Amino acid sequence: MESVADRVKKVTARVLKVDPKDIKPEQHFAMDLGAESVQSIELVASFEEEFGIEMDEDAALSVETVGGAIDFITKVCKEQGVKV
Amino acid sequence: MRLIFFDLEGEGRRHFYPIALSRPIWELRCGMTSLGEKLVAKTGINDVAGFVPEYMAAACRSRKPDRKINDLGVLKGDDLLLVNPRVKAAGFSVPTKGPSEVGLAEDGQVLYARVAKADVGKLKTDSIAGFLDSAKAGLKTVTANLPTWNYVWDLVLASPHQITDDFKAAGRTGIEGTVEQPNAIRGHKNDIYIAKGALVHPMVVLDAANGPIYIDENAEVHPFSRIEGPCYIGPKCLLLGAKCREGNSFGPVCRIGGEVEESIVQGYSNKYHDGFLGHAYVGEWVNLGALTTNSDLKNDYSNVSVMLDGKNAIDTGSTKVGSLIGDHTKTSIGTLFNTGAYVGCMALIMATGKPLPKFIPSFAWFLEGVVTKGFGKKQLYETAKIAMSRRKMAFDEAQQGLYDSIFELTKPERDEAVKKGRKQMVGK
Repeated sequence: MESVADRVKKVTARVLKVDPKDIKPEQHFAMDLGAESVQSIELVASFEEEFGIEMDEDAALSVETVGGAIDFITKVCKEQGVKV
Repeated sequence: MRLIFFDLEGEGRRHFYPIALSRPIWELRCGMTSLGEKLVAKTGINDVAGFVPEYMAAACRSRKPDRKINDLGVLKGDDLLLVNPRVKAAGFSVPTKGPSEVGLAEDGQVLYARVAKADVGKLKTDSIAGFLDSAKAGLKTVTANLPTWNYVWDLVLASPHQITDDFKAAGRTGIEGTVEQPNAIRGHKNDIYIAKGALVHPMVVLDAANGPIYIDENAEVHPFSRIEGPCYIGPKCLLLGAKCREGNSFGPVCRIGGEVEESIVQGYSNKYHDGFLGHAYVGEWVNLGALTTNSDLKNDYSNVSVMLDGKNAIDTGSTKVGSLIGDHTKTSIGTLFNTGAYVGCMALIMATGKPLPKFIPSFAWFLEGVVTKGFGKKQLYETAKIAMSRRKMAFDEAQQGLYDSIFELTKPERDEAVKKGRKQMVGK
C-alpha cells in the first residue's frame, strides 16, 4: 500500500503537472510549485477523491506546504475512520 | 380587518426556487409590483402580516421591520383574511366581509381563510399550520376555483401582460422627471410615465407602440438605450445603452446594459455589460459579468424543461424560458447559460466557453467546468458584504443566519454535485 506521502505527491504531481520526484515536503504549493488559486481548489478536490474523505474547505485551503498536506490528510483520515 | 399572507414549508415552495429560497413568495415580482402588493391593492386591506418558513423569519423582519412576521399575536383581535400568496390577485374575488369561510383548492390546500374575530377562539393559535388546519376542520369550507401561480417561470411569462395591467391600475402618465433632447417617443404619450427625479439622457428611444413604459423615481437612462413597452424600470435603476426589449420588469437599484427581453430582475443586481438575458428571473445582488448570455429558446423549438432539484426535469409548457438565478450569484465574463438553467443563490460561476449544466446548486463554486466547494461560504459572505456596502446596505447577522440555513437546506444537492465534480476533475 502506498504511503500517504506518496499519494499526496502523486496527486500534487498530476494536478500541478510536475515530476513527483521533484516534490519535497517542505515545498510551498503556491510559491515553489506554482499552484494558482483554482488549482488549490482542484488539489483539495483531488485529495478528497484519492483518500475518500471530506475536508473542511477553510482548514484545507489554509495548508500551505506538501508536508502540511500530508499531516492534515493523515489527521482527517484518522478522524473519518479511513485506513491509510 | 387584517390581511395575513402564509407561505409555509412544503413542496410547493420549491417551485419558486431559487428566488424564493431567500424571501417569501409574496415578495416575488410580476409586472410592476410584487405578488403581495397586488393582493394588498386588490383587497384594500393595509394592516398586513405574514408567516414564512422559520429559517427566513429573522431576515424578513430585518429587511422590513414594520411588518409582523411569524407573530402569532396577529391571529387575534381582528377579523382576518389569510391568503396563500400563490393566489393570483387578479382572480381573487373573495369578499373581505362575510361569515367565516375557508377556500380550498381541489387538492385540499388552503388558498384563503376568512375568519371572523368571534370565531378565532374556536381555532388553535399555537402555530400558523395548526390555525389553518383547525380552520379547515371547524369552519365552513368551499372549493375555490381561484387561479394560482404554480412555478417561478409563470411569473416571467405573465409579467409583460401584467405590466400593462399594473400601468393602467397605477393611473399615471406623462413626464414628471427630465427628458433631455433629442429623443424619440413612439406610440401614444399617455402610455409613458417618467416619475419625479428620473432622468432620460439624449438619444434614447422610448417605444410604447406595443405597451406602456413606466420609469420610476430617480432612475436614469443613458444615451443609445432603446426601451420597448411594456416595461417597468424601478427606482434608482441605471440603464446603460441597453437594448431593452418588451416585457422587462426591473426592481430597484439595478444596473442594466446589453440586450434584455421579457425578464424580471428582483432588484440591486448588475447586468452592466453586453450579453443577452431573455425570459429570465434574476434575484437580488446578482452580478452578471460582461457577455454573460442565456439561451431562452431551444433549437428545435420544443418546450423548455427546468430542473428545480437537480434531478427531475419539469416541462414548463413554454418554448421560451431563460435562466433562474438566485440572490448573490456572480458570473464571470463570457458565461453561457443553457435554456431553462437553474442557478441557486450565492453561487460563483467561472465560464468554460460552453453552455453550463442546467442545474448549479446554491453556494457552488463552478470552476473548470465542475461544481466544487471552492473557497467556501465565508469567502462568499465577504463578497456579499462588499457588494451590499457599495449600495449602502448591510449583510447583517440576520442575513448571514438566513444564508447559513440555505447552505444547510441545499447541502444534499450540492454535495451530490461536488462529488460528481470531483470524479470529473480527477478523470480529466
